[in-house]
Amino acid sequence: MLTLLLLVFGQPPDFEKQVAPILVRRCLECHAGDDPAGKLSMNTLAGLRAGGRSGSALKAMDGSDCLLMERVVAGTMPPPAKGKARPLAAGEQAILSAWVKAGVPWPAGRVLDPYELSTETRGGRDLWSLQPLKKTAVPAGAHPVDYFIGKRLAENGWTGAPPADKATLLRRVSIDLTGLPPSYEEVKAFEADMRPDAYERVVDRLLASPRYGERWARHWLDVARWAETSGYERDQEKPFAWKYRDWVIDAFHRDLDFRTFVTQQLAGDEVAGATEASRVATGFLRLGTWNDEPNDAREYQYDRLEDLVHATSTAFLSLTVKCARCHDHKFDPVPQRDYYRFANAFWAGPVPAGSPGTLGGPPADLVGKEILGWTDLGPNPPPLKLLKKGDPARPGAEVGFGALSLVSALATPEAKSPTGKTTGRRLALATWITDPKHPLTWRVWVNRVWMHHLGQGLVRSVDNFGYTGDLPTHPELLDHLAEHFLQQGCSTKALHRLLVTSVTYKQSTLHPQAEQYEARDAGNHLLWRANRRRLDAETVRDAMLAASGQLDVTKVGGPSFIPEISPEALEGWSKKGAEYKPSPPDQQRRRTLYAYVKRGLLDPTQTVFDAPDSTLPCGKRESTTVPTQALALLNNPTAQKLAEALAAKAGYTGDDARFVEQAWRLALARDPRPGEKQAALAHLRQQMEGLGDAAKARQSLALVLLNTNEFVFVD
Amino acid sequence: MGPNAFPCGLSRREAVWQMGGGFTGLALMDLLSRDGFFSRQARAAVPTSPRPRQYPAKAKSCIFLMMNGGPSQMDTFDPKPALEKYAGQPLPPDKKFINSGGRQMGFLTPSVRKFRPGGQSGLPISDFFPLVRQHADKLAVIRSCHTDSHAHGSALVAMNTGKTFIGRPSLGSWTVYGLGSANDSLPAHVVMLDKRGGPISGQPNWSSGFLSAAYSGTLFRPTGNPVLDLTGATPRSAQRKQLDLLGELNQAHLKTHPDGRDLAARIHSYELAYRMQSAVPEAVDLGTETQRTLEAYGVGRQPTDEFGRNCLIARRLVERGVRFIQLYSGGGHLEETWDAHASVEKNHGQHAGEVDQPIAALLADLEQRGMLDETLIVWGGEFGRMPFSEGKGAPGRNHNPYGFSMWLAGGGVKGGMPYGATDEFGFEAVENKVHLHDLHATILHLMGMDHEQLTYFHQGRDERLTDVYGRVVKEILA
Repeated sequence: MLTLLLLVFGQPPDFEKQVAPILVRRCLECHAGDDPAGKLSMNTLAGLRAGGRSGSALKAMDGSDCLLMERVVAGTMPPPAKGKARPLAAGEQAILSAWVKAGVPWPAGRVLDPYELSTETRGGRDLWSLQPLKKTAVPAGAHPVDYFIGKRLAENGWTGAPPADKATLLRRVSIDLTGLPPSYEEVKAFEADMRPDAYERVVDRLLASPRYGERWARHWLDVARWAETSGYERDQEKPFAWKYRDWVIDAFHRDLDFRTFVTQQLAGDEVAGATEASRVATGFLRLGTWNDEPNDAREYQYDRLEDLVHATSTAFLSLTVKCARCHDHKFDPVPQRDYYRFANAFWAGPVPAGSPGTLGGPPADLVGKEILGWTDLGPNPPPLKLLKKGDPARPGAEVGFGALSLVSALATPEAKSPTGKTTGRRLALATWITDPKHPLTWRVWVNRVWMHHLGQGLVRSVDNFGYTGDLPTHPELLDHLAEHFLQQGCSTKALHRLLVTSVTYKQSTLHPQAEQYEARDAGNHLLWRANRRRLDAETVRDAMLAASGQLDVTKVGGPSFIPEISPEALEGWSKKGAEYKPSPPDQQRRRTLYAYVKRGLLDPTQTVFDAPDSTLPCGKRESTTVPTQALALLNNPTAQKLAEALAAKAGYTGDDARFVEQAWRLALARDPRPGEKQAALAHLRQQMEGLGDAAKARQSLALVLLNTNEFVFVD
Repeated sequence: MGPNAFPCGLSRREAVWQMGGGFTGLALMDLLSRDGFFSRQARAAVPTSPRPRQYPAKAKSCIFLMMNGGPSQMDTFDPKPALEKYAGQPLPPDKKFINSGGRQMGFLTPSVRKFRPGGQSGLPISDFFPLVRQHADKLAVIRSCHTDSHAHGSALVAMNTGKTFIGRPSLGSWTVYGLGSANDSLPAHVVMLDKRGGPISGQPNWSSGFLSAAYSGTLFRPTGNPVLDLTGATPRSAQRKQLDLLGELNQAHLKTHPDGRDLAARIHSYELAYRMQSAVPEAVDLGTETQRTLEAYGVGRQPTDEFGRNCLIARRLVERGVRFIQLYSGGGHLEETWDAHASVEKNHGQHAGEVDQPIAALLADLEQRGMLDETLIVWGGEFGRMPFSEGKGAPGRNHNPYGFSMWLAGGGVKGGMPYGATDEFGFEAVENKVHLHDLHATILHLMGMDHEQLTYFHQGRDERLTDVYGRVVKEILA
């Protein structure tokens, strides 16, 4: 703003520094584009000269009675909005006036673009998230996470929380990396391990465990809107959707570099040396809902395009590109044209209703047998036209394929198909997204990983890096992590290692100055302590299976098991219970990740704990606490059965004291404290009296343990 | 307002909350607010605690009577005498439509039941609803409804969420998001299904979509365990002991985790759950209703028993402050719903026979108890039906999204009036058309909410039930 005010006497104002920002921010919102307000285009000198309905804006060049200055001085332009006058500030008026007086000097060929700068109401290409990653030096020997977090704490005169105790830390890192709590024995071993690298050894063990791939695959499946049916009336199964799930598990387990991870999902059929696995990865483009009976087939193909654009732009870029389907994006520098350029990547696929193939996918001979995948129907799709107001009845100009213009430094790579059977556009799009210079991709991914470890993203709106999203709490750290990630070969495991070995990660959820800090930073934006989190839906069930000794982890991947759903819950289904056939009991012991996800019949014991509904990408789940969760954990037959199993596993029939101790070890991985033990023994006696059955009394105690806050939260 | 208006890291959501706007955070905050954990300001901004209306309105609760499958307007609330004249002729070729399911095309067919004027107003209603007709003066029949899909799955989702695709919050969820709940021992948004099955598309019909799960519909069953897992194998006295031990362990844990608001909220949720265990059965227990009331609703008699019970339970829920109740008539597929492809007479004869008396009793009962002014009743299906039959024999009718009837009654509705019109065949809405967005805007208005102000910021956009559409049908407001 300062430069705006610095008019040097007698000299014309600087066009780029002083004039252009005023025109771009205050005029071009209306006076540019295909249909400028009053027919006046202000993005070129010719436009200003030619003028609009009211005549040339620059009639007389003495700065007093030209139309531009007349309106500006009168305060009628920029016009009032929502009843509020919005005149240019006096300084801005002075600049324009001086500029007009100087004969409107305009650099030759310069075309102003409304998106080059942010305004008071929307973002431009100067948005923070679209700028190149900034390198900030970290002092030698310092842990980058702790350096940046510590710096901001120190600026406030604050210090982080003390380290969490070993048992708490082990539980935290085990659940974060594998989705399963540690056993009593593991806690004891870790507590006894005094080697200086004891913790690093644990981290390595957890990262190497197949449970790690399962855990992190689930996070990605949320983003990919994964489910195994199409939704709507017939809710058809998407055959082999589980192979995509397994591909994701394997990708995390093998630590597939993130560039390949992205590329295979968008273009696994187009990459050189495509394999069955890479084609399975294109299932990402097949996971959306699919209606076999759309009201308007012509419109529906554009709905499907929107799903593909939205899933892709949200998952990899955290941008709401879909908002530009009907008009230029209201908040981000995404002109409507860009939406259609981007959408062109998918237009060659089986998008139009009536395409050959099944359930909205390509025919098996193109995509491969027993694969839920995507490919183009041919190398020369019909042209895609921009739709005015998104209305299929009002097609506009043809729009070719291209990436988003918001990163002007990154051109779209040429679309070339190695096989000649596809357009090569998706591969080009993937190449653009995974360009090391892309300002979004790397920030977005490291932010997602950060959120799952620290409880909140550095950018809290993890799926929205646009103007309406949140600003990063620690921008330098975000950029540093993104850079580091690139340097480490896009290894997600290396990123985990970096994050979980930081002092920031290892600190306690309790801070001696909590009350004082909370008053100023209740949201813990500065990370002055660790965030306590409730276990997510899958982890609640998995942890119960593990505690009761029922968890069967021997089968990694494969077709899903059909979860047991209580008959009451089946009543909400149009086909009622008759056709619902849960898998045999031994299958019910698999991790929840392997439960079949049917869009028309979501497992209520999962949705009650905020499992997403899988219709839209979901980078961040809600975490609610509602009474129906309590009912599910107390009374659901599965909870009851697992409590019974836990009681049986604890053993020591006839020795209540030993039983209590064992039950605590199984459920909470620690020994009961004396007061707890007494309360538990009293409970056993009371329930024995009331229920008249020792086994039932023990089951009751086990159920209580599975319901405790200690079990359901991770500190 | 630009992002710089907020200090770094303060999310827009938090900022909106501080400004007293549409914050929706953790439901746990709601639980705490009831215990005086938070200040009055915070209380006003938490999810399901009662919230002020955007402007004065009479209706405090809404009962949505969902005639699943799509009732025929020409045979119920939209008399089309011209069909007598045109009987046996095809629909004029300039009337364009999608033949849903590619079914056989028959000829224009008059109503299978006679229409008669009802009440002082003389509002015509067919003999499928002789008892509802006695309340004609309470009804505003919108004859010019139209929607966006001819297929059950999409049309049901559209009637419930505003869009033909799944994943958006339902009308009930938006209502509770906007108004909160007046009873914390009962769910604020209750859905009661037909015993024959759920609606097509299932759970997305009462989903909270991207709103907090706290707003999603809770299924109530009229018999057995009314709420999923409300009770289990554990006897109530034993459950109490479980809760006592749990409370003791959790309190000890809380002592070592001071400032654990999330922990305290979860402790509280168990006590709420325990209260629900008595409040819900009490609410659905018809044992305290007089024999006369039971008889009026048709409880204990066929074919009215099931829907009669549900209507009576709905009244009891309204009395207890439940905000939004949706009752389904018809469940599963085809003739088990109002989907009268084979025979309007047989299908609607059965389904109207099940609901006419209960609905009439509900209107009378609410009026007599002085509750009708505070209760909005909405009646209708996901679409209507075609003026022509499907082939020969008993006339059945195919789906019709272009024109159909719905009616509103009670809280703030002007009664005894038709609004809008279809063409002379009843094929499409032509006069004062009311799209389902308009219907939603009107329902929200009657509940005291401005559909343009009831927004939720999601993935970069201020989302609304009515998207960028919707007009309040002022003409039917009392």
